[in-house]
Formats: sequence, structure tokens, C-alpha cells
Amino acid sequence: MPNRPLIAIVEDDDSMRPAIAGLVRSLGYAGEAFASAEAFLAGDVAARARCLISDFQLPGLSGLDLADRMQGVMPVIMITARTEAGLDARAHDHGVLCLLRKPFEADDLADCIRRALDNGAQAGRH
Amino acid sequence: MTTESRILDLIHESVITRDPAGIILSWNAASEALYGWPKTTAIGCQIDDLLQSRFAAAAPDRDLMAPPADWEGELIRVTANGTELVLDVRWQAERDATGAVLRIVETARDITERKAIDDALRLSEYRYRNMFEAMAVAFWEVDFTQVGAMLIPLRDQGVTDLRTWLLANRDFVRRTMERAIVLDLNLNGFALFGADTRDAIIGRAIADFWPPASEPVYIDSLVATMTRQPHIVSETRLNRVDGEPIDVLFTVSLSENNRKRGVMLIGVVDISARKQAEAALQRLQAEFAHAARVSVLGELTASLAHEVNQPLAAIATSASASMRWLAAEQPDLDEVRSLSARIVSDARRAAAIINRVRAMAERRETERQYLPLNQLVAEAVAFLDHDLAMRAVTLETRLASELPPVLVDRTQLHQIVVNLVVNAAQAMADSPTRHLCITTSLAEGAVVLAVEDSGPGLPAHPEQLFESFFTTKSSGMGMGLAICRSLIEAHGGQIVAANGAVGARFIVTLPITPRS
Repeated sequence: MPNRPLIAIVEDDDSMRPAIAGLVRSLGYAGEAFASAEAFLAGDVAARARCLISDFQLPGLSGLDLADRMQGVMPVIMITARTEAGLDARAHDHGVLCLLRKPFEADDLADCIRRALDNGAQAGRH
Repeated sequence: MTTESRILDLIHESVITRDPAGIILSWNAASEALYGWPKTTAIGCQIDDLLQSRFAAAAPDRDLMAPPADWEGELIRVTANGTELVLDVRWQAERDATGAVLRIVETARDITERKAIDDALRLSEYRYRNMFEAMAVAFWEVDFTQVGAMLIPLRDQGVTDLRTWLLANRDFVRRTMERAIVLDLNLNGFALFGADTRDAIIGRAIADFWPPASEPVYIDSLVATMTRQPHIVSETRLNRVDGEPIDVLFTVSLSENNRKRGVMLIGVVDISARKQAEAALQRLQAEFAHAARVSVLGELTASLAHEVNQPLAAIATSASASMRWLAAEQPDLDEVRSLSARIVSDARRAAAIINRVRAMAERRETERQYLPLNQLVAEAVAFLDHDLAMRAVTLETRLASELPPVLVDRTQLHQIVVNLVVNAAQAMADSPTRHLCITTSLAEGAVVLAVEDSGPGLPAHPEQLFESFFTTKSSGMGMGLAICRSLIEAHGGQIVAANGAVGARFIVTLPITPRS
């Protein structure tokens, strides 16, 4: 189904990456997953995706670095296993739309993706 | 010259006749040769004045002043040139019809040399006895003649590898022990084995004092006898008379002489106290090592929690996705199947992480096995992958191929690697580049593990690093390197610290132990 919105996923953990991709597909979207920010940026998915779900901590280019580069390009949902205080504020400063903590509820991710797509649609209208 | 004196001159033994007062009546040629006095001088002299006779053994009932007419025994006399002789002497009296002594005929043989040999022998025996009794070592003299008789037919039966055969035939070994009889035991032996009387041990079979677990040492001794090794030393455990076990250092001396007699001389040194001290030290070391492991685990908690959280989060996510697929009007069973498979493998991954942590946290007896160092390094590093990633440390491993296995305790070796790596990672906390290199290599008789970091290098006195509670870091495991050193030394290895190309380098050397 070519008209399903494409969601990009960047997650270095070998368990989480396919799990998020599976969840995204079960929500009715198309998903493409990458193990690093560099791998994601190298292809054309960055140009086609409507939203990015990224892990906070990545080898090489970090999740926040990636969020910086995606400002104005597509909305970013960030996932992290870290628990320290102040993380939400930092994520917000880098333009992150949602920050989810692992393990997260599927419904929360679904909400975030819906908001991101609305957001992106609005942004696209400007 | 009378016929009688001519005949006497032909005799090789000294023959002297004297009257009852000891005045010399005749003196043959052999007497001249023996005592150095010519016949002309000797005849007419009092014999005991001339030769300064005295009894060799104290003999209160035999007084030279009133010597018996018929006697035989040992006398000491002095020759014309002053040499002392020991003589085997025989006196025989010639009497008249009334029984009164007319004259005494004496024959004498020089036994000085034989006497000297006897004395030396007796002295040597006396010394041996003294040594045997007084040594701070328990000595057993064991009669193995019957055991030898049991072993010899084995060769005819085609047994070539005696040791292997004996190890496999313990009933036979026991039977030989029941025929190996204790001939003698010294004082220390009685004390060590708790015997009140000689009969408690002497005359008994060694089987009574030899627990089955110590049979291999006995077998080695038998093999040593049969293969004519001169000496064996081994640690083992024997039983006292009351059945209490004692740890001993066991030596067997197998001189050619003893072998011919079928006697083994067994020396037994009590090393119970040393063994107890060693065991206590080992327990203490194990406790410290355990405490240190737990402390490292404490430091790694954040990274371990993170690591175990990943597969758990993945499981939750995959399960949610499955439920969504199943709730759809047309469930995509292929998706559900693949998600379920993911859930299973993620659950296994989480369990594996927990097992790793549990192995590190477990308090258990050390157990040495022959293991490949490279694999142990890889396992330890897997433990730290996540921690290193969180600390933004890049890790490089350069592992030499074809290293011989090392005889080590798996958990302790993991702990050594984990401690060195965590130590290096912490040292690099404020460094602009955080690079860690683990190298394994082969040296002469040893394998070498090196951990090199790109941190600030060693402090002024690197030796202090290995002292407990010394640390250059504000936070961290003060005991890490001290524990590392004690674990490495317990494995017969060593650790040294040096400055590397950039940061610090810790080099661990572990001996290659040949498999027995």
C-alpha cells in the first residue's frame, strides 16, 4: 500500500530496532529501521519519511544531534532507557516532539506518531 | 732351641707360655712380630707389665691382678713401639696331679682392624638410630617384600603401564597395602599418628593409616620403586591411629640397599597447620574477590539495568504489536509469528544478561579449568560492552591466535579483565579521546594479557596502585587492582603497570601449566 506514511526508525539495539518496526507496521504505517544515524542519513529515507523515531543514545552521531538536523525536516520522537531528570527539557530544546521512556506503552507511541504526522502536515502547509 | 719352641715358631698366631705369676716362659716368632719385643727381652718379664694389658670390656669379676687361669676374651695391649692393639686372647692352664696351675698357654690374634670396623658400624647404627628417633620428621620403616612379590607377576601378565593399571585396580592396591607391614617408627611418628604404644602401629599394615583418597600417592611410590626412581616427594593425607586425617608431606627414599631388603623408608612431615593457614587464606581471598566483584557489579548497575531493560522493552513492544495485529479484522499471522519469535529470543537475551550478572555475584568455590584466554576476554568484554558505550569508550581487541589454554578459574579471570577494563575506563573519564586496547600474546612459558588506555597515565608510584584502597579516582573501586593482583598471583601469574604509548598499560602474565 504505497500511500501508507513512512516512519523512519534509528535504534542501535538489536532487540528494540525490529520491535519498534513491528509496532509501527501494526499501527498501519510503513517503517524502515537503521542501526545508526549515519546509516539513516546516508540513504533517501530521510527525504521520504514523514516522521523519525530515534533512540537517545546512539553510537557516533547522537539522538540529539540527529534531532538538531531534523529540525524543519520532520518531527522527531525520541525513545530512551535513561531516567535522569532534565532529559525532557534537553529534548525539548533540540526540537524533539515526544520523549518516551523504555519500556513505553504502544498507545503512547501511537499518540506521538499521530501528533507528529498532524504536526508535519501543518508544517507542510506553511 | 727345644723342639717345642721350634714348632711354636712355625705357628702364625702368637703363642706365649707363662707361669702362674705371669713370668714369660716362652715367646714364639709370631709374638715377636706382633708385639715387637724380641724373645730375649720378653722371656723372664711379667707379661702384663711388658704389654700393659687391660681388658677391652669392663669386667669387674675379672681382675688382672688375679687373672683366671682359663679364659678367653678381648684384651688391649701396647706394643714395643707404643701402638695399641685389640687382641682376641685365649688362656689355657696346664695343671699338675693336684690341680695346681703349672703354666698358662696363651694364644692371641690381632683384631684391631676388625674391631675398628665393628665400632664404626656400631657408631653408624647408633647415629642412624639417634637420627631416626630425634628427627623432627616422622619416619616409617615399612616391609614391602610381600608387596613386591605381588607386583612382579603383573609384568608377566602383560601389564606395561603399571601406574594406569594400579589406578584402575584399587582392590588390588588395597590388598597390597594390607601386606605392607610397619617395621619401625620413630618417636615423632608415634606423636604425629597419636599412638600410645609401639604396638598401636608397629606390626600393623599401612592400609590402616591410608585413606582411599590418598591411594594415588601410594601408587606413585610403588611405581617409583619398580622404575628405580631414587626419591619421591608428594603432599597427601593420612589417617592417625584414631582415624583423624592429617595433611602430610610424604617422602620415600628408595636406596638400592633398601630396595634389596624390600624395605621402604617413608618420611612424613605434618603440614596440617600450613594447610589450614593456606585454606584460611584462600577463603579470605575468595571473600575479598567476591566482595570486589559485588562492588564492581554495583558500579555497573546503571549499565546492566540499561542492558537488561532493552530486551524487556522490546518484548513489551513486540507483544503490543502482536495484540494489534490479532485485533485487526484480518489478522496478519505472519507478522504475529515473527513478533512471537522475536519475543522468545529477546527473553533469552534478557535471561543471558541476568545469568552473567548472577555468575559474577555468586559466592562459590574456585574451580580451575583449562580455558582459552581469548574466549575469557571476549566473555568479560561482552559484560562491559554497554558500560563502555555509555562512557563513550572505544574498544579494540588484538587477540593472538593459537594461544595455549590457561589453567584458571573462569569467574576470577572474568573479574580480572572486568576490573582492568573498568579501571581503565574510569581513568579516561576526563580524557578527550577514550580508547582502550586489549591485547593477548604468547611469551616464553606464559600467555600475556595487556590492557592499555588513552588516559592520563600512571601516578608517580605505580606500585601503590596495587595496594588495597589506594585509588587515584574520586569515585571508584579502591580494591580493584589489589584484588586483581591477588587473583593473578593465586594463579601463579603476575601483573605490572607501566606507561604505554599514550596512557597506562597493565600487563598480566599467566603461566602455561602443562596438563598432567
